[in-house]
Amino acid sequence: MSDKNQTVVVAHAGQLLEANTRRQFLKAMSVGGSAVFLSGVLASCSDDDDGPTPPGGGTVTLNLGNDTGILNYAYALEQLEAAFYTRVQTGFGTSGLSSAEQAIFTDIKNHEVIHRDAFAVILGGAKIGNLTPNFSAVNFSDRTSILTTARTFEDLGVSAYNGAGKYLTSVDNLVVAGKIVSVEARHAAVIRDIINPDGRFFAGNDVVNGQGLDVVNEPSRVLDAARPFITTPIRIGTQPVA
Amino acid sequence: MEQKQILEEIDPEIMDRLATRREAIKKGAGASAAVMAGLKMASVPIALAVLTKDVFGQAPTVVIDALNFALTLEHLESEFYKAALGTATGTGAAAQNAAFAPVRTQVNANAKAKATLEQISQHEIAHVNFLTTTIQSLGGTPVSFTPASFDFTGGNGNGNGPFLTATTDVNVLLQAAQVFEDTGVRAYKGQAGNLMSRNEILEAALRIHSVEARHAAQIRRLRGVKSWITGNRSDITNLPAATLAAIQLSYNGEDNKFHAGKDVTGLGANNGGDDAVTAAFDEILTKEAVIFIVKDFIIGTNP
Repeated sequence: MSDKNQTVVVAHAGQLLEANTRRQFLKAMSVGGSAVFLSGVLASCSDDDDGPTPPGGGTVTLNLGNDTGILNYAYALEQLEAAFYTRVQTGFGTSGLSSAEQAIFTDIKNHEVIHRDAFAVILGGAKIGNLTPNFSAVNFSDRTSILTTARTFEDLGVSAYNGAGKYLTSVDNLVVAGKIVSVEARHAAVIRDIINPDGRFFAGNDVVNGQGLDVVNEPSRVLDAARPFITTPIRIGTQPVA
Repeated sequence: MEQKQILEEIDPEIMDRLATRREAIKKGAGASAAVMAGLKMASVPIALAVLTKDVFGQAPTVVIDALNFALTLEHLESEFYKAALGTATGTGAAAQNAAFAPVRTQVNANAKAKATLEQISQHEIAHVNFLTTTIQSLGGTPVSFTPASFDFTGGNGNGNGPFLTATTDVNVLLQAAQVFEDTGVRAYKGQAGNLMSRNEILEAALRIHSVEARHAAQIRRLRGVKSWITGNRSDITNLPAATLAAIQLSYNGEDNKFHAGKDVTGLGANNGGDDAVTAAFDEILTKEAVIFIVKDFIIGTNP
């Protein structure tokens, strides 16, 4: 089960304007928690401060305080996965992947593109823009590099959906997310079995704990892990509300 | 302590209702309406008020029922894998272990299949334990079963049901495992909505749900079929028509292409078509549909 963090961290001045931060203060204080102001937060306030400076052009901001933000968060991850598998497919000829593996990667690519495009349809005008991926760290001519990156993305995706579900307020949105996460878990299992076909790694002890629970991560953790693969600056604006 | 004595005179049971601070923080305790009303007396310090168990006492019935439904399926799966591996214990264990002895020889001869079943079994046992203690901590009564509760041939106790050959043929054993896992995924998905009032419970259920999906994918891979569900196909053949018809119940509806009110058929164009669109999403099953599917594996069940 997740632990509630009873320390409120204020990393930038903008947080002080967010209702969610104020709510967290009260919650943390009531059970003996604390607040931490990272350096520069108070210094950034001047006598006639109008508020935090908006981020520079091109930055994608995810406001996770409502379902639209959470779905956009999922959309961002699906964009990344779709771009990755599309790139892999383009380089099948020099990838080192076997025919059987290429068939699997083709299916996965199809699924991720469909996931991405489904979110675009569902979000409509509320969707964030297109993210530019950064795959400079991936060697698409190296089967191991491809498989390692695929495994990272799939396990990360599973952990992201598992951690985001509780923030959705509409059951319809929760169901859509649920319909997708189990497919990502199927992807993860297959990729892992390709990497290590010992019969255990598909759901190994590194991702499934002693209680039989799969990996879970909060949005900030997921984005930290995903950022190296995304050129477009992406930040969390409003924090999610449990 | 003087304060404690005063409180006990006001409400003798109040000390039982005060949670430890660690429990309170762990469960995200806040002041409930009832506690806030009590604060008007001004004799109860705020610090004490937020530590009452009011806010995280008995969970709603809908939550406990959903968890007990999940626990039922986990017991079914757990005892199935134990029987296959010969590790069942408790009432009826000897008979279950013995029934699966013939197929176990084939399992033992296939190192990867054996390792997979062992890994899955480990998880299902953990799920049973986790859900049992969770339900207890929520003030509910967890369901419990023994090996004797189940007829894995699907004969509701006659031991001669449509899956009898799962005890003698590893291909059928894996077919049965696939159906259990694919059905389990759909069952959890169908219950997620019932858990929305409890964030930590919902999160845990999602984390179990994705593990079951890994199981399903791996069993399918062992069987040499795709790890995802195409259209509404079970990808199971070579069984009597009646058995295949029963299995189909676990796959009906998997060809759905409407999500959040949108028809996503077009998204498959130049991208795998209907096969890909249907495989990209797993579908829910209602509790009633799942009970109908599993009833003949749980002896004495009449939905």
